[in-house]
Amino acid sequence: MKILVVDDDLHIQRLYKEEFEEEGYEVVIASNGKEAIELFDSEVPDIVTLDILLPDVDGIRLLRQMKEKRPKVPIIMSTAYDYRDDFAVWASEAYIVKSSDLDELKATIKKMLTKE
Amino acid sequence: MDIAYKQKIAEIIFENIRDGIIMLDRNSKILAVNSAIEKWTEKPVSDLIDKDCTDVFHDITGICPHCASKVTFETGEVNIVMQKGNHKDIAYYAELSAYPIKGDTGELTACVVFIQDITERMLCHEEILGLYTEVTQTKEYLEGFIENSADAIISSDQDGIITSWNKGAERTYGFTKEDAIGKFLPFVPDFLIDPEYEMTHRVMDGEVLKDIETMRKMKDGTIITVSLTLSPIKDAAGKVIGISGISRDISKKKRVEKELIRRNQELSRLFFISSAMRGTLELDRLLRMVLTAVTMGDGLGFNRAILFLFDEKEKILKGAVGVGPASPEEALQIWERLSLEKKTLSDIMRDIEIGPLRKDSFFDRLSRGMEIPLSEETILTKTAKEKKPFNIQDVKKEPLSDTVLIQQLGTHAYAVSPLISRDKVIGVLWVDNHFNRRPITDEDMRFLSGFSNHITTAIESARLFEQVALAEQELENIFESISDMVCFITKDYVIKSINKAVSKRLGKPHDEIIGKKCYEVFHGMSSPWAKCPHHETVETKKAYVEEVEDHYLGGTFITSSSPIFGTTGEFIGTVHVMRDITELKNLQEQLIMTERMAALGEVAARVAHEIRNPLVSVGGFARRLEKKLDGNLKEYADIIAREVERLEEILNEILGFVKETRFVKEIVNPNILIEEVISLIKSEVDERGIVIVREIEEPTEIYVDPNRIKEALLNILSNAVQAMGNNGTLFVKTYVKDNAAVFEIKDTGMGIAGEDLPFIFDPFFTTKKTGTGLGLTITHGIIEGHKGSIEVESKPGAGSIFRVFIPLNNIMDEK
Repeated sequence: MKILVVDDDLHIQRLYKEEFEEEGYEVVIASNGKEAIELFDSEVPDIVTLDILLPDVDGIRLLRQMKEKRPKVPIIMSTAYDYRDDFAVWASEAYIVKSSDLDELKATIKKMLTKE
Repeated sequence: MDIAYKQKIAEIIFENIRDGIIMLDRNSKILAVNSAIEKWTEKPVSDLIDKDCTDVFHDITGICPHCASKVTFETGEVNIVMQKGNHKDIAYYAELSAYPIKGDTGELTACVVFIQDITERMLCHEEILGLYTEVTQTKEYLEGFIENSADAIISSDQDGIITSWNKGAERTYGFTKEDAIGKFLPFVPDFLIDPEYEMTHRVMDGEVLKDIETMRKMKDGTIITVSLTLSPIKDAAGKVIGISGISRDISKKKRVEKELIRRNQELSRLFFISSAMRGTLELDRLLRMVLTAVTMGDGLGFNRAILFLFDEKEKILKGAVGVGPASPEEALQIWERLSLEKKTLSDIMRDIEIGPLRKDSFFDRLSRGMEIPLSEETILTKTAKEKKPFNIQDVKKEPLSDTVLIQQLGTHAYAVSPLISRDKVIGVLWVDNHFNRRPITDEDMRFLSGFSNHITTAIESARLFEQVALAEQELENIFESISDMVCFITKDYVIKSINKAVSKRLGKPHDEIIGKKCYEVFHGMSSPWAKCPHHETVETKKAYVEEVEDHYLGGTFITSSSPIFGTTGEFIGTVHVMRDITELKNLQEQLIMTERMAALGEVAARVAHEIRNPLVSVGGFARRLEKKLDGNLKEYADIIAREVERLEEILNEILGFVKETRFVKEIVNPNILIEEVISLIKSEVDERGIVIVREIEEPTEIYVDPNRIKEALLNILSNAVQAMGNNGTLFVKTYVKDNAAVFEIKDTGMGIAGEDLPFIFDPFFTTKKTGTGLGLTITHGIIEGHKGSIEVESKPGAGSIFRVFIPLNNIMDEK
C-alpha cells in the first residue's frame, strides 16, 4: 500500500515516512501542492495524508482536485489547526489534528484502507 | 169760422204773442206793430205807426226789420235772418222772419216781420260753438298727432278694410294713404292672414291685444317685425264698429335682440366650456365636451368638428376627437337635450358620453383614423404651418383642399383654425356645416377662433394636470413602496403623513399614528427628544443625517431630517426618513468579530502550525527513540515524549479545540422534523410523480440541533428523489430502536453499486455527473456530531435504504 504524504515540514515528513514504513507501507512525499498533484498522478497512492496549510496552495483545493481525479482514494486531512468548526464536513475520520502520538493517524489509515 | 171770429183771434195772437210783429210796406213804413215790439224799441206802439222803420230801428237797436223785409219784397219768398243787436250794452240776437203779404190784386203790398228773441238760443249756440271749436281743436291736434306719429296708426272696419292710415303707417309700410284706404289689410303677409283673422275676431269681441309681436309686409315686399296693439273702436252705443291698431317696426330691435341672444349663447357656451374645464381635467372628455359645444344645432356653431393634434415626433396631424351628428335631426336633438338650464354639468357629460356624440361613434372613429403628415401641402397643414385660420367656401375651387377630408367625410365647405399655445401649434380644429349647408361667415370664424383658444387652454391644462397627476402618483408610489420609514412632521412635532413602512414597523394602524406627536410615537417620550434630528432641524432649519439608537423602537436607525418650506418661505416641518440598520449594525459587528476572529484565527492557525509542527517532530521522534532505547535513555525519551504531549494539550486548550462541532441543541420531536423536511421536497416530488408512503410512530424526544438534523435528512431525501427520476415510491418511517430514534428512508431508485458503498460518506465522492459529493459527508458529520450513526443498504436497480440513528433524549447527554 502506498501512502502519499503531503506536508511542508521536513521533520514531520521524515517522522511520518519512518513510522509508516515500519508499518509496512510504501511512502511517497510531497512538500507542496504542485508536487502533491504530480505524485498523485504518477505514483497512484492508495491513500493520502494532506496538510491544510501548505505554502503554495490551499489544502482543501488540493483535496478537491485529488477527489476529482480519483474519488475513491481516501484522503486524510492531517493538520495542525482544527478547522472542523468551520465546516461540519470535516467531522469525519478523514480529519486528524496532528499530534506527536501517531496512533490515531495510523489507525485511521488502516481503517480507510480496509474499506476497499 | 166767420170773419169776426178770425179777426178776434188774429187780434189776440197779435197782442199776446211774445214775438214782435211788425208790418211794413214797401217803403218801410210801419203799418202795424204789436206790443211785443216795445221790447225792441222802447217806444210805445203809438209812436211807431206810420213811421219809417229805418228811423226806429236800424242804427238804434241794431234790429232791422226792413232789411229782412227788403229781401222778401224783392224775392217774394219768406226770408229768415238772424240779427244781432245791442241794447243797454247787452248783446241780443233776434230771428226775423219776413212773410210776404199779397194784396187783393195779388201784388206784394206789405210784409209781416216776426221778430223772435233768440238770444238764449244763440248763447247756447255759442257755448256749443265754443265746445265745438275746442273739440275741433282737439280733433285737429289728435289728428296731427296721429298723422305725425312715428308709429303706424291704422284703423279698419270689421271687415278689415282700411279706414284711416297715418304718415307713420306710410313710412312704416310704404303704402300711401291712397294705396291703403279702402283696401283690405295690405300689409299683412299671406302666411299671417289666418292668425290675423283670429286677432280681429277677438278685438271685435271687445278685447284689447297689447304688444303682440308679429310680422308685416311692406309695399316692396320686405318682411318686418312689428310690435302691435289692437283696440276696438266703439260707437256711442258701445258697439264695436272697427279696429284701431298701433304698430311699431321692431325689426332693428329684433336684430339687436337676436345679436344679444347670440352673444349670450356664445357666452353660455364659453361658460359651459369653462365649467367643463373646471369640472374635468380628463383630456379626452374635456375635448369631447368642447367640440360638442362647437357643434350645436341651434343655429350657432357648426354641424361637425374634428380636433387634430400635432404629433411633434412624427410631425403628423392626427385626428384625436371627432364630434358629428349623423343627421340634422340628430343635431337639433342633441342640443335640445343638453339645455343648459335644466341639467347639471355631470348630467350633460353623461349624456354626451352615451349619446351619438360619444366616443367611438362612427364619426369619432372615422376622425381618429385620419392622419396628415406635415410634409403634405393641404389646408390643414397650412393652418398648422402658418398659424392662421382658413375658410374654404367651396372645396372644388380650392386646390389645397384636403382630399382625405373630402373623401372620408364628404365635406363641401369647411374651416380650419389653429390651436396655438405659447407660440407653438399643438393642433388644428376642423369644422363644417354638412347638414344645413350654411356658409361659414366671418362671424363664424371669429367664434371659431375664440373657441380654439379655449380648446388650447383646455388641452394644455389637461396635459399639465396629467403630468402633475402622474408625478403625484409616482411620488405616492415611491412614498408607499419605500422600505424606509418616511413621514412628514410639522414644526409642532405633529405627524402629518406616513408611509406603509411606518405603520408596519410601529405595528399600529395609520390613523393611530397620524396627528400624534412624533416624540410620543417614535421615542415614547412626553417632550421633544434633543437627540432626534427632527428636533435639531426645527431649531436650526437645517438638514441632519445621524445614526440614532432608539431604545423605544428597539434598534439603530439612520435618521435624516430635511426641512420643508412653505410657498412663502416659512418653515413648516420636516421630511423625516428612518432606515432600520439594526440588523446591518449587528452584521457589521459580527463581521468585525469574525474578522477579528479570523485574524485571530489566522494568528491561531499560524501559531498552531508553528508550534505544533515542532512539537509533533520532537514528540514523534522521542517516541521512536523510546521504542528503540533501553534503560535510562528509554526513560529520558519517554519523559520527553510525555512532556511534549502535555504541551500539545496546553496548546489544544489555548486554541479552544473541541472535537465536537458546535450545535445549537433543543428538545424536538423527530416526527415533526421529518415532516418539515418532506414539505421541503414536496414540489419536486409532485412534479416527478413520486409517491410518498409514511409510517410515522408515536412521538418521542431527541436533543438535537433541529436545523442541522433537517439538513442531514434533507441530503438523504434529495439523493433518494434524484435516484428515482420519475414515478417511484418513497417510504419514510420513524420508530424507536435500541434507545435511539430512527429515521428510515427507502427509495425505489437505481441503488448504489457495491464497490461504491464504502465511499459514499467521503468528501467529494460522487457518482453523479453534477454535485459536490459533500451532501452525505455533511450528513454523516452532523449525525456523528450528535453521537448518532447511519446505516446504508442498497441493491443496484432495486433501491436503497438509509437508517439514521439518533440517541434518545437522555439526561446524560444534556450539557
